[in-house]
Amino acid sequence: MSGMNLSRRQMLAAFAAAGLSPAFYQSAALAQGGKTLRVRSYADIQNLDPAFRKGAPEDDVMRNIFVGLADMTPGDTWKWRLDGAAKLEQVDPTHIDFTLMDGLSWTDGHGPVTADDVKFSFERMIDPKLDSPYKGDWEVLDHVEVKDDKSGTIVLKAPFPPLWNVGLVFGSGKIVSRKAVEAVGGRFDTKPPAQSGRYVLKEWQPKQRVVLARNPDWKGEAPYFDEIHVIPIEDAKTAELGLEAGDIDYTWLEASSIPRFKKTPPKGGKLAVKPSLAYVWLGMNVEAAPFDKPEVRHAVQQAIDVPSVLEAAYFGAAEPATGIIAPGLIGHREKNIYSYNPDAARELLKKAGMDSGFECTLAILNTTEFASAAQAVQANLAELGITVTIQQHDSGTFWSLGDEKSGDSWKKLQLIINRFSMQPDPSFATDWFTPEQIGVWNWERWNSPEFGELNKKAKIEPDTQKRNEMYVRMQDLMEESGAYVFLTHGAVGVGYSDKIEPALMPNGNPIFHGFKASA
Amino acid sequence: MLLYALKRLGLAVIITAVALIMLISMIQLIPGDPAAVLLGPLASPEMREMFRQQMGLDQPALIQIARFFGRVLTGDLGTDVLTNRSVLVTVMEQVPFTLALIFASITWSALIGIPLGCFAALYRGSLADRIVGVLSVSSIALPSFVIAIYGLLLFSVKLGWFPTIGAGDSGAPLDQLYHLVLPSLAVGLGWVGYLARMVRASMLEVLTENHVRMARAFGLEERTITYRYALKIAIIPTVVLLGMGVGNMISSAVFAEIVFARPGVGKLIFDAISTRNYPVVMGAVMVTTGFYVLCTLIADLIAAGLDPRVRSTL
Repeated sequence: MSGMNLSRRQMLAAFAAAGLSPAFYQSAALAQGGKTLRVRSYADIQNLDPAFRKGAPEDDVMRNIFVGLADMTPGDTWKWRLDGAAKLEQVDPTHIDFTLMDGLSWTDGHGPVTADDVKFSFERMIDPKLDSPYKGDWEVLDHVEVKDDKSGTIVLKAPFPPLWNVGLVFGSGKIVSRKAVEAVGGRFDTKPPAQSGRYVLKEWQPKQRVVLARNPDWKGEAPYFDEIHVIPIEDAKTAELGLEAGDIDYTWLEASSIPRFKKTPPKGGKLAVKPSLAYVWLGMNVEAAPFDKPEVRHAVQQAIDVPSVLEAAYFGAAEPATGIIAPGLIGHREKNIYSYNPDAARELLKKAGMDSGFECTLAILNTTEFASAAQAVQANLAELGITVTIQQHDSGTFWSLGDEKSGDSWKKLQLIINRFSMQPDPSFATDWFTPEQIGVWNWERWNSPEFGELNKKAKIEPDTQKRNEMYVRMQDLMEESGAYVFLTHGAVGVGYSDKIEPALMPNGNPIFHGFKASA
Repeated sequence: MLLYALKRLGLAVIITAVALIMLISMIQLIPGDPAAVLLGPLASPEMREMFRQQMGLDQPALIQIARFFGRVLTGDLGTDVLTNRSVLVTVMEQVPFTLALIFASITWSALIGIPLGCFAALYRGSLADRIVGVLSVSSIALPSFVIAIYGLLLFSVKLGWFPTIGAGDSGAPLDQLYHLVLPSLAVGLGWVGYLARMVRASMLEVLTENHVRMARAFGLEERTITYRYALKIAIIPTVVLLGMGVGNMISSAVFAEIVFARPGVGKLIFDAISTRNYPVVMGAVMVTTGFYVLCTLIADLIAAGLDPRVRSTL
């Protein structure tokens, strides 16, 4: 390759020399030298209204164009910090006083950010007419009292610890302008009528990029980069190549790519590996024969060699899980009740009268990781004479499989490998396994009134130790039911240019306005 | 010719209508509740129901088809239920990127493939002909996504010559052209082989026809015979092939758009199907079907213009 070592810049110059365009060369060179951060998002934005956002791509943009009272702190532990508030204090279990910082203002001539905007923003989340899908983040909000232009009190109906880890610090805690939002009919989509963050949405080219530019009216500490280009790249491998070629400065990596990046870091790039909050498990539909027999479920639990499944799916980049609550969060369990024991599994099958084995299906999402995990599970269960047929589904089909309102597919579900993402509060993990969620997101159809009651009580329990015990007990109940094999929380690989210093939450989620040039 | 054109136009309308009826029927068969997929786990049943109504999925298939055609006739492709934007606007934003990719691919594959085919025919049986044959078949056999990935690894990651992602800055046409190089290589390389094989076969047939022998007998230059008399006839099946090829290129463009993270209609449809965003699927397929039918129509009309015998085939 010695004769082919032309750089991108030389290639561009060759284009220019060929008469294509000197202007083109200049523009590309400027882009390389400017203070522009180019980051990857896994999907394009669809809705920037905090009450109707669709997912992380919107959260990541909203964090820059709107302020909240608090935000997450970059680092390795889950801690909140002040964002648009100069003061935020829990004065008693149901009252939180706040005072906005000086100089916060709305774009487009909508004046200063006021305590009334805070009231409007939080109360609209629970407004039944608006019917926000995120109303649960503020489910115990009673009202917000406005004291003056800049201060007020959030009044709760009951103590609600998740507010500090979820409601206040993520999208549901972002403040919107009452005047501007009411002027556009009470809700908006991809055109925020007024912005107040460190950046403003300068341009959205659908499927191409979101361009965020410094907000000239921002009075707090100025962010480092002049512009942030958020580029939607659905395919993780493409993004990895983009990072290696120097076309983007930040992306998360597939877990299966982490070992490769560890071994051979990309030229000009760095790797950070963060513990994920998400949880992956093998579920069993307790209403579908033969998994309606507890002995069969416990046999499957003990027939699966979780480390070998993870080796197949994540190439050693992920650790086994002890439950659905990740390390570092309240309620994390230190160990499982059951472990890999094929002899015990055979005994259990014999007890269930199924020692000659049986046939069943395993539903998965059609990703490489799940397919590999499913094949390992298939091999483990084959040793007990259980023949597993793997059914791969695209995301549109998969996410409707257990939903009673979407058809009859829930009746045919037997084994499922599933993954749910998380916010840093245990209630976000347990909410989906209650009796009320049967046929919605509780696809195992496991019905434990004790679990349901504990879930309600743990949410409003202010004592951290008691809360911890409740969540540990809830995961014990899940495992004792036999319907769950906890696989992993996965791992988050973050690849970034060595020219930048990213600001990342403990699970690797980015806080773009905190990104800086490396020292 | 006019009668042929009118008949062909009528056929194009029927083809478009049948394709869309098939599409809407298939949508009914796809598993997965669109409202559940689009709105996620936190949406209330009321909101899901409202979404189904907005997408018209609460109506029988026949009503959906009738409504869709009614809207299409008024130039309205509906509203994207996720972003509340007009589907027509959403689709038309993506169309130029796909068109640019397809035309860049066709242009350079025709510029290389047609002369290669002529060359191979003129030097039939020679070593050069055999080499062109092997290379042509090899390029046909290589899937476009394989070319895309290896092109990325070699020219972007290893050599750093071309960008890996995106379509370039919107205000810089030459930057966009630069971003087109690798994707169009991926989409068009297979077509170089197709065109070379097609032109070679066609030329070999034409070169033995009476009018070519007559031209030789009159002592015309071989170059004149080849390009003025033989290629003009031999190119006809190639023109039709190119018209059909546009449809295939739309499929190849999906891969290129995903691998290179380019905007485009192919990727728009892919994403919309994944999220069950049916108004966008229907609108985008309507546009691509119309485009495909238009291309084949133009190809047929050109073929009929070049060879009057074609006019009697419809």
